[in-house]
Amino acid sequence: MTRTHQRGGRRFSRRALLGLATAVAVGRLFAVGPLAVTPAAARPLDDVLAAGSVRVAVYRDFPPYSWKEDGVVKGVDVDIAREVAKTLGVKADIWELTAGETVSDDLRNGVWKGHYLGGGVADFMMRVPYDRTFGVLNPEAVLAAPYHRERFVFLRDPERVDTSVIDDLPDVPLAVEIDSVPDFHLVSAAGGRLRSNVKHYMTMTLALDALWSGEAAAAAGPRTQIEAALAARPQRGFVMTPLTMPPPMRASWDVGIAVNEASRDLAYAVGDALAAMAADGRMAAIFAKYGATWEPIPIDD
Amino acid sequence: MKRSITAIGLATSLVALTATAVLAAGPTSDDLMKDAATTGDVLTYGMGPQAQRYSPLDKINRNTIKKITPVWAFSFGGEKQRGQESQPIIHDGVIYVTGSYSRMWAIDARTGQEKWQYDHRLPDGIMPCCDVINRGAGILKDKVYFATLDARLVALNKDTGKVVWNKKIGEYKDGYSATAAPLIVDGKIITGNSGGEFGVIGAVEARDAETGELVWSRPTIEGHMGTLNGKESTMTGTKNASWPGDMWQMGGGATWLGGTYDPETKLAFFGTGNPAPWNSHLRPGDNLYTSSTIAIKVDTGDVAWAYQTTPHDGWDFDGVNEFIPFDLKKDGKVIKAGAKADRNGFFYVIDRTNGKFIQATPFVPKITWAKEIGKDGRPVYNDDNRPGAPQGDQKGKSVFAVPSFLGGKNWMPMAYSPDTDLFYVPSNDWGMEIWNEPITYKKGAAYLGAGFTIKTIFDDHIGALRAMDPKTGKVVWEQKNAAPLWGGVMTTKGGLVFTGTPEGFLKAFDAKTGEEVWKFNTGSGVVGSPVTWEMDGEQYLAIVSGWGGAVPLWGGEVAKLVKDINQGGMLWVFKLPKA
Repeated sequence: MTRTHQRGGRRFSRRALLGLATAVAVGRLFAVGPLAVTPAAARPLDDVLAAGSVRVAVYRDFPPYSWKEDGVVKGVDVDIAREVAKTLGVKADIWELTAGETVSDDLRNGVWKGHYLGGGVADFMMRVPYDRTFGVLNPEAVLAAPYHRERFVFLRDPERVDTSVIDDLPDVPLAVEIDSVPDFHLVSAAGGRLRSNVKHYMTMTLALDALWSGEAAAAAGPRTQIEAALAARPQRGFVMTPLTMPPPMRASWDVGIAVNEASRDLAYAVGDALAAMAADGRMAAIFAKYGATWEPIPIDD
Repeated sequence: MKRSITAIGLATSLVALTATAVLAAGPTSDDLMKDAATTGDVLTYGMGPQAQRYSPLDKINRNTIKKITPVWAFSFGGEKQRGQESQPIIHDGVIYVTGSYSRMWAIDARTGQEKWQYDHRLPDGIMPCCDVINRGAGILKDKVYFATLDARLVALNKDTGKVVWNKKIGEYKDGYSATAAPLIVDGKIITGNSGGEFGVIGAVEARDAETGELVWSRPTIEGHMGTLNGKESTMTGTKNASWPGDMWQMGGGATWLGGTYDPETKLAFFGTGNPAPWNSHLRPGDNLYTSSTIAIKVDTGDVAWAYQTTPHDGWDFDGVNEFIPFDLKKDGKVIKAGAKADRNGFFYVIDRTNGKFIQATPFVPKITWAKEIGKDGRPVYNDDNRPGAPQGDQKGKSVFAVPSFLGGKNWMPMAYSPDTDLFYVPSNDWGMEIWNEPITYKKGAAYLGAGFTIKTIFDDHIGALRAMDPKTGKVVWEQKNAAPLWGGVMTTKGGLVFTGTPEGFLKAFDAKTGEEVWKFNTGSGVVGSPVTWEMDGEQYLAIVSGWGGAVPLWGGEVAKLVKDINQGGMLWVFKLPKA
């Protein structure tokens, strides 16, 4: 039961396995919960247009991408989704999805099956890694329309840390989100020398709180989150540099949307809308609104 | 039932008493402690606080078992048919049983007539890990108690099903959940915690049964402070003694299966989950007290002793399995012992007064991660069977390890018979390919994880019900089962051992020889735990049927074995009719 551990790989996490087994057996099992007798099916484009609204899944409590403040859901992904809906000529119905153990679980709960407790699925989902291998492992969902490149960065207080070379870091507290790639990187870098310096926090926001309070002298995490924090918090002259790390860890990845297998035409339409936003500056403007830099995906990559 | 009559029979005329007054009394803390010996009821999860799951009833025995017949069956209804891992509670002619999706029923034990149903309202956004199961209720005085998927403890009036109190025991938004049956000792409801894959700290907590107010808490990871009556009490272990850096602050060790209790030593025993993060190379040290059994003093919540079954776990071997107090009769002495069949494949016998190791032997035919448990009680590791570190440009080494992380035994409770001096262990023979996964994502971001896939290791079975002799550490008999066993076991003075199978049967075996003497097809997989009691001079038996839990969540070869099993949700009641 439970279940209490991080593990990845869709065939292998306990929750992911739930998805696999039920996918196999979906014709026989009662794939329903107490909140909805029949999960709302993800719909193809025509149905979305006819209904006049599109249901978009965003992560719950995940600033600056998507979070709720004073009862209003906001953030980079929320603004992008609303802009896409506007382009499609429909209303955006933003749905906050609780993150599961891995994104594979989120795809199952968000777009292709729905959680067994009910709540239905979305027509499309934001912030899904656009990765061929990952896509192969998740055949029930279609990964599409990459809209930006995310990367890990290192943020340091130059008065306490005079280098961005990880192996040369002094013995100072380093703040990371628990179980993230930067966590693994820092804990295992330099033969484990930094292990006792790494301070773990439940969220990136808390890790950044620690840096600003002086509890930590540096932090590592996704660029958009760190840039948004730099914009929203008091200026301290912190220095941000890209984080490089040896494979199999990866310092950058691309982010797109996911739809149900049956909704490919919707994915194409959303992709067109996102491409237009990238071309005419609306995409960069949305990131800028939150203090972040929109990094496009290189065409020749 | 007998207790109600003794309680009131002395002082008052029976005639003057209404049935309601008798009902309202309910069992006392003392009654719960004597549950194993009283045959008219089943007041505790485990059929006694020690959870030996032994009944002194013998009307149903090898000779009569074929004559038992179903009396009635009760459907849990609705679309909510998944995973019924519950054990019924029987009191005063009423069955209290929990079901999937945090529901509870009170049912007339004679007729199957529903008295009330409680449907817990589950909030949006909960993320229970491993199906929507519940393992059972507790009862004390006029209230019944159970834990819910949104990590709350609910007290209901036993006669009306109305909520008396409802307390948060974990934050469901952080992934906490609760499925275990509460342990009730001296007016305290004692629970473990579960869920929360990131940053969870295992804990055991005691609440006042009347009010639900926290009395004490005991974190399971060293360095954390316990509390008693709202104040800090003692620290668990020594901070940083077996953990690097700040990793003790989110070290794992969830106590998701609940606990057992020994009235003699006044200790509660809780097993703890595996450590976090998953990759063992990142947390050198024993990582106390993960994958352990912790003995806790129930009056203060202080740790009396702890015994770690898998130090520095690297295979996801939770140590949550039940620790069953029993008297070990060996070499002419009686030792106050306890036994635990661990996920890691070894059957441990421990001195329950002090946690000293007595012996540990395999209860499964193959174990790859350790050669043996040494005389010091520590495993002798096979170092090349530890999954490799994901360093440099190579992904970590993949290994094939047995048992799988689902364990030589998972949650399903074993039973102990003082007649045969044997433990009856519902075990599983399977292995896992396990490696470090370079490409995984969480919440839209890249991260590292572990990959594994469960595999069978024998052609004819995964499950095996095994009788273990705690004196010799040897398997005395075994009964194989094609699908993995996932239900609890019960044994009786009638010389029988009962357990259910995913194939849908409730089965009875000869306690001495293991011979299968009876089976009944319940219509869906059985992953609950059977109970027996006496009513109106007849011996009854009850089992919940309804396939689900963690096994059907698995892919690969295991999924093939169970893919044709239909879900369900049904309480079956049998009896041996009067001649």
